[in-house]
Amino acid sequence: MEKLSYDAVVVGGGLAGLMTAYVVASSGFKVAVISKVFPTRSHSAAAEGGIAAYIPGNSDPNDDPDYMTYDTVKGGDYLVDQDAAELLSQKSGEIVNLMERWGALFNRQPDGRVAVRYFGGQTYPRTRFVGDKTGMALLHTTFEQTSGLGVDFYNEWFALDLVKDGEAIRGVVAMEMKSMNPYLFQSRAVVLATGGMGMMYKHTTNSYINTGDGYAMALRVGASIKDPEFVQFHPTALYPSDILISEAARGEGGVLRNNKGERFMTKYAPHKLDLAPRDVVSRAIITEIREGRGFPGGYVHLDLTHLGENYIKERLSLAIEAAENFAGVNPINEPIPVRPAQHYYMGGVDVDTNGANPEMPGLFAAGEVACVSVHGANRLGSNSLLETLVFGRETGYTVVEFLKRTGERSSSVQEEAERIVKEAYQFVKSESGVHFGEIQETMREIMWDKVGVFRDEEGLKEAISKLRELRSGVSKMYVRDRSKVYNTEFFNALELRNMMDLAVVISRAALDRKESRGAHYRNDYPKRDDVNWLKHTLAYLRGENVEIAYKPVRITRWKPEERVY
Amino acid sequence: MEAGGKGVLKMVEQREVKVRVKRFDTEKGNWWAEYKLVVDWYTPMTEVLRRIKVEIDPTLSYRAACHMGVCGSCSMKINGKPRLACKTRAIELLNQTGDEEIVVEPMDYFPTVKDLVVDMSDFYSRMFKVKPRLHPAREVMEGKAEHRLKPEDQRTLWKFGQCIWCGLCVSACPAIEDQDFLGPAAQAKGFRFLADPRDTLTEERAKLLIDSAWRCTYCYQCFEVCPRDIEPVEAVKKTRAMSSLYKGRSEVVRVGVRHSEAVAESIASTGKIMEALVYTKGYGASQAVKDMIFLLASGRGKYLLVKETSVKNIEEVKKIVGGAT
Repeated sequence: MEKLSYDAVVVGGGLAGLMTAYVVASSGFKVAVISKVFPTRSHSAAAEGGIAAYIPGNSDPNDDPDYMTYDTVKGGDYLVDQDAAELLSQKSGEIVNLMERWGALFNRQPDGRVAVRYFGGQTYPRTRFVGDKTGMALLHTTFEQTSGLGVDFYNEWFALDLVKDGEAIRGVVAMEMKSMNPYLFQSRAVVLATGGMGMMYKHTTNSYINTGDGYAMALRVGASIKDPEFVQFHPTALYPSDILISEAARGEGGVLRNNKGERFMTKYAPHKLDLAPRDVVSRAIITEIREGRGFPGGYVHLDLTHLGENYIKERLSLAIEAAENFAGVNPINEPIPVRPAQHYYMGGVDVDTNGANPEMPGLFAAGEVACVSVHGANRLGSNSLLETLVFGRETGYTVVEFLKRTGERSSSVQEEAERIVKEAYQFVKSESGVHFGEIQETMREIMWDKVGVFRDEEGLKEAISKLRELRSGVSKMYVRDRSKVYNTEFFNALELRNMMDLAVVISRAALDRKESRGAHYRNDYPKRDDVNWLKHTLAYLRGENVEIAYKPVRITRWKPEERVY
Repeated sequence: MEAGGKGVLKMVEQREVKVRVKRFDTEKGNWWAEYKLVVDWYTPMTEVLRRIKVEIDPTLSYRAACHMGVCGSCSMKINGKPRLACKTRAIELLNQTGDEEIVVEPMDYFPTVKDLVVDMSDFYSRMFKVKPRLHPAREVMEGKAEHRLKPEDQRTLWKFGQCIWCGLCVSACPAIEDQDFLGPAAQAKGFRFLADPRDTLTEERAKLLIDSAWRCTYCYQCFEVCPRDIEPVEAVKKTRAMSSLYKGRSEVVRVGVRHSEAVAESIASTGKIMEALVYTKGYGASQAVKDMIFLLASGRGKYLLVKETSVKNIEEVKKIVGGAT
């Protein structure tokens, strides 16, 4: 197998990965970015509504970073590590200013400063935006700057697994999708920035490429996933195509209504109403639908008609485009049909606020794939773009320090790399049998039905046994396509292996957590239980078994209180 | 289901479609595959392809990611037109053609890698040629000065800044074979930075873009196929208008500028474009004579005999032209 040598390898070319690569490369280290898509195709592009920031001199005069931290902590139902949330708030203004200096075309106030709007769970408006294509704008800006730095981009390369020597990470094995040739990337530091896993769910706003590759690579190399049971469902995905209608629609004044025309959020969140956090609104919508107050097919209305044509066109153009193209409704004079869909994963590879995994030297993670515990049990809207950049940059700083004090190792990991490639071929070696699609669709249904917005013991147990059975089928998978060029069936099969590894972990952690907190809602344990469950789950995958450990939540200044909106 | 009413989706019929996909494999070459599946009003072509791959034929290769028109992955030719699959509904296609068949092919111009996957490196290298990144002033990066941007400037720049690098415009561009032409996407991208008051590379960018701008044919195919409604021709026009600001013009620019001036002159004095006059002024007398001989030799001499006369209300025209300058 051919070998390539770098100081650091970043897996994933979305916002977090690019930001980390930018920082490491700026310090003179040799960096590779491996991405299974051209970087601007990453899922960061799909983020719509904005990026939260407290900008001194350009925020509400009553606001300050502590309010922002408090909102994040409360939004995350107190499962947030408060030092992480403080860092996020304190660096927010700086990071938005950096994006502005790099050329991002934020919407402006009449005096030329960056504009701002409300998002769910915010005490004061903090969301900065580029229409409703903020992620796309920031991703292009960051890619533009990073691509001018001499970073080596391996675009359309598929990462198979991490290479370890003892407990230290030594690199990653990746395959060029066009030639199907595997390469060993040897490096002292590997940063996972592979994004989320939405394709595990039947209904998701995520890209087709969000298949949880980084979580599974971490699990297979023996690292833990923190808080895997916390999956966010966005309240307003367009019915029936699951295209995201940004929370900005409600931030700008949009209102949810049931089939009686009632503004039902008055019942569920009397103060914050439609701008309550996503977990609260998603449960409200599903409850309305289940109790017969939805529309046939299972959706409710998001009404923007009172906002006025010009305002909607300028600030929510993507919502208009999506509703018109994919639901045949014009939001300027008709309500938009919406229902919840999987949207974000709070759980992720366990890292400290500096982006380093506490157990494996050389392993780093940033962005959605990481769990810095800044979102806790439920992420607030416009905190994810912020997280990718703030913690992408922090991780970059940490990698630089790590590289300065860590020497090259001389032992060979070639054999380990060969094993990884063999294993990847091995599990699709059958000459006949099931192909990935058959297993994948069943998995997506189980996750949606049993490990979704509402959960209970019976459903979770059923999910676990079915998923276990499906996972054993994965090793007998069959790839029909024999092509040695850009064989996407082979890569889809590898993606399914990744999703199945994570599915068993999520369902098990969800069964174990016997309380309701944030996005994890148990019908059989509807209350939050701080006495027994104010702690992080750490899940490891050892062969067939999921092993669970716990770790305390870091609480600095905000004591848990009842979460009312 | 209730029958219509505001915001209540109509129960939509399901229809079987036949999808013909042009396949390619380095070993087998090209062939056509046919798939039948049932779609409804809502089904986008990315979902059609995904269902083919998941339910019928896993060997089909294509690119797709965001499914909402912002990542630019799923560019392909559908019923002969360059489109994003995610922004194209299957039933809409059937209604357009009155046919039950949908034809899917890889994009033109780019070499095919496998099935609907094409090699986009030519596109990317064009984009990188225009230095697609803001170069802010050092004082701003050091925090000693602050950028401000008028809301109207933000709106204008964002019109060109929305490019998602999908390559559809390049695949549709008739001028793209000219290797000195940067192509519509790069021209728009370059202009987005050229026009940004926060940028410091203005002269370098102008020099990079002006020659290429004169190689565009103004056919508007790029705008026609752009999924983000960007008008590269608009960027080209505005870039051309900067030609007189910089010295060292290339031949293409000199001809182009003379041609534009001749057109303006002709309209101002006669009220219309006097083709022969404009041609002679644009390309010079000797080139015009050579081309005239070529026309005669190729039997198209009659076009030389078309007699042009001024419009009647020439004073009115002069007022309008005068008012515009």
